[in-house]
Amino acid sequence: MRQILYLVQKEFRQIFRDKAMLRIIFIVPLIQILVLGNAITTDVKNIKIVIQDQDKTPYSRELILQFVHCKYFKTIGFEDNYTNLSDCLASGKANLAIVIPKHFQRHIVLNKKPDVQILVDGVDGNYAGVALGYATDILQKYQERLISSTPYLGFYAKNIHRVEKAPMFWYNPNLESKPYIVPGLIAILLLIITMFLTSMGIVREKEIGTLEQLMVTPIRSYQLVLGKVIPFSILGIVVINIAMGFIYLIFGIAVKGSLLFMVFESLIFIISTLGLGIFISTISETQQQALFMAWFTMICFILLSGFFFPIANMPYVIQKITLLNPLRYFIIILREIYLKGTSIKDLIPETLSLVAFGACLFIAAIIRFRKKIG
Amino acid sequence: MENDIAVKVSKLSRHFGSFVAVDEISFEVKKGEIFGFLGANGAGKTTAIKMLCGLLKPTSGEAYVAGFNIKTESSNIKKHTGYMSQKFSLYEDLKVKENIEFYGGIYGLSRKEILNKTKLLLSELHLENMQNSLTKTLPMGWKQRLALSTALLHDPPVIFLDEPTGGVDPVSRRNFWRIIYKIANLGKTIFVTTHYMDEAEYCKRLSIMHKGKIIEIGTPADLKSKYNKSSIQDVFVELADRD
Amino acid sequence: MKLRRIINFIIKEYTHIFRDRVSLIIIILMPMIMIILYGYAITFDMKNITFAAIDDSKTLQSRELIRSFTGNKFFVPKFMDIKRSEIDQLFKERKIQMVIVIPKDFSESLATSRTTKVQLLVDASDSNVATFINNYSNRVMQIYNEKINIGTPGIINIEPRIFFNPDLKSANFFVPGLVAFILLLISALLTSIAITREKETGTLEQILVSPVYPVEIVIGKVLPYISLGFFNGTIIVLFAKFLFKVPINGSIILMSAFALLYIFVAMSFGLMISASVQTQRTAMFTVIMSTVLPTIMLSGFIFPIVSMPLPLRIISKLIPATYFLIIIRGIMLKGTGVMVLWKQAAALSAIGLFMISIAIKRFKMTLEQ
Repeated sequence: MRQILYLVQKEFRQIFRDKAMLRIIFIVPLIQILVLGNAITTDVKNIKIVIQDQDKTPYSRELILQFVHCKYFKTIGFEDNYTNLSDCLASGKANLAIVIPKHFQRHIVLNKKPDVQILVDGVDGNYAGVALGYATDILQKYQERLISSTPYLGFYAKNIHRVEKAPMFWYNPNLESKPYIVPGLIAILLLIITMFLTSMGIVREKEIGTLEQLMVTPIRSYQLVLGKVIPFSILGIVVINIAMGFIYLIFGIAVKGSLLFMVFESLIFIISTLGLGIFISTISETQQQALFMAWFTMICFILLSGFFFPIANMPYVIQKITLLNPLRYFIIILREIYLKGTSIKDLIPETLSLVAFGACLFIAAIIRFRKKIG
Repeated sequence: MENDIAVKVSKLSRHFGSFVAVDEISFEVKKGEIFGFLGANGAGKTTAIKMLCGLLKPTSGEAYVAGFNIKTESSNIKKHTGYMSQKFSLYEDLKVKENIEFYGGIYGLSRKEILNKTKLLLSELHLENMQNSLTKTLPMGWKQRLALSTALLHDPPVIFLDEPTGGVDPVSRRNFWRIIYKIANLGKTIFVTTHYMDEAEYCKRLSIMHKGKIIEIGTPADLKSKYNKSSIQDVFVELADRD
Repeated sequence: MKLRRIINFIIKEYTHIFRDRVSLIIIILMPMIMIILYGYAITFDMKNITFAAIDDSKTLQSRELIRSFTGNKFFVPKFMDIKRSEIDQLFKERKIQMVIVIPKDFSESLATSRTTKVQLLVDASDSNVATFINNYSNRVMQIYNEKINIGTPGIINIEPRIFFNPDLKSANFFVPGLVAFILLLISALLTSIAITREKETGTLEQILVSPVYPVEIVIGKVLPYISLGFFNGTIIVLFAKFLFKVPINGSIILMSAFALLYIFVAMSFGLMISASVQTQRTAMFTVIMSTVLPTIMLSGFIFPIVSMPLPLRIISKLIPATYFLIIIRGIMLKGTGVMVLWKQAAALSAIGLFMISIAIKRFKMTLEQ
């Protein structure tokens, strides 16, 4: 037991001596939370439109006004040449173009149904789809209003009925991205700090020969492993608490659920990432190899965690693969506790998966570690 | 086992795949002896020494170190041996004092023992003024002496030194050997590998390894007279050329 | 500068790369696995949104409205007629993501008034998903409204035309983005430890005592890795083209030239970090912290930059991937040429030159110490 204490003390001394590293561990995550907390939104705003008005009548000007006054659109200009419109889309100057045909007003009055074209840059499919929806909506409302306000067209009016939705967003009424993104960021930062520090740390000791020196001492391999796990778990828990305090101070987002429960879940998660780190260290000879493997694992974990892309949308096989991703469970758990205040009884499957994952990884890591040094 | 034997090796072998690094070596080292292990690079010295201090399991053969079987009692062996490798292996980012404290703690010394030992060591090595410096700022020769001292913190009766003076200037090397003699005079057994032939002359007994086998063993004087050479260097070259 | 010396460096660096088999395999396999895995996994095409309905009206019309939600692949009904008090629990158990509440007077209101409101309760703990659910329900509502107003002639025809990606395929958007993402990460990572590794093993000292200029060392470090990065880039573009059927409408030569420029920028970043810090650990941590999340989140890889608040739009201008994303999407999907993309290329060159000169300067300082 005393030996472990000495190992822990040594590890902390090394961590606190490396000032560059300390800055990265404690300051960079806070900057990331501050900057990235605001970043995510799939909301579609500021759609840049260019308008071509071939008609130039009161009716067409009225339609243009609808777009100019809509908060989703930003009119960047008018264009008389039709071929220039696609150039505007190609160069990214505009996301969407509206073409009001010649004789627009006359054809409406004569009930000849003029064609209004909406040209949209479809590269970002989601953005394009929503932008198209907004534009269509404006045109719909325009024609309804025209029908009801213009008496000689009025005979259509009584036939139009619409169902509209009144959405209510629970747990996050303004659809702010911060409450959604912040728990995810915490999880990722925790993953980076714990997994990388252990794997690189152990391989570094291998490279410089201190690991060999430790192995000729009567120390047991489980003591060595614990000597790595304890300091980094403590470090992880400290970082996560600082991050939560920071988030509360800056964004005013507090943990809805139990803080103790949150720390408990974090600890389970840390155990699995540390296990992973140790495992990686046993299969790599140099820091470079450890780094590549840890990095690859991390990117897989992040992109397949459901943080940015909902898992339900993924193909079946990949959905199954994500079941092996501890970050997936931890992000769900963090988000639930943070935003909904969900208690442990509704998070039992996730918690159990995380425990199972942590236990397996950790045991595998210790077995490999012992084999490696034995 | 006789009481005055510190290391007893019989037919010890180690294979790596089809490569035979150490091929059935046998020898004995007496207590308090400075035993030299000579050989070109790749002759199997380091493999042999790693087996003796419990870092590697032998493929076949038997060996006893300080009375313990290396196959079955490796944890006892680790308690009763000291090891210092050719690579400097203290933590460069810890202070001198902290390195001593750390290794003392790992070997299970009490706080008081660690404090006493640290004081003693620092004064012996004339490092009192440097105790709060980072280890990486020490000159190479001092690092080596510090590494040796930390390997001796737990007072082991048998000490393995694997090319301890690699990369060190001649003056530091002489100082280092002075310490080795001092330790040997305290009754400790020293097992040292080297490829500096002048160092070989300092040893009480020598064995010369070649391609995993021990091809010659004896005191420096015996070896020189047997091959009729004036220095161990010449003996070594003669043996190497026979191949 | 001597060409011979630079060539010697390049040969040395290649030997390093090819001798470490494990690293080499990782470097070559990783991008392939990434593009295959993420090419399929990363999609915003929503499906299987689970919902429950509370139908207080229970009329033909209300059932018709619910049916328009169930009759597509986006929405999956889970529960009918739940109690209002159960909603919170169902959200917490993550059994459903949305609840439709149809009011008692739904049918009467539909017959008499122009607009009738239906309540949609959405679990917004993932605000991203909530936005999608909202957008998709917009579409469903639009279809429903068209249906109930059938036979009512409109006065204008709306004719949408979608350019560059007519089927609005997610893959066409994300796969070129992945090329930018993977290339940046790998290139920056490769060079980030190139100099620190030599600092740690002490070989840098050996090199520094020889009569070399820092520029030579930097060139010797960068060139081999650029070729490796370019090789990776080629492989992932081939996967994009043949596995994910993303068209390449523009010039391949132009794309290669810009890719080389981009790889150079990413590597300059790695070198800058590598020359500025002491250990491999610090170098790689700095690189990972400053590439992975910012590239995913701020470059326009996933989230539209135009929707971000102003400070973040400014920060996004400092991220190399922002420019390369415009370039590669432009060339692959829109077939744009150098006349449009020169601005992005100029910005990339400026960033690259700035970083490489810092790398060289920092390196000189090491030299003089």
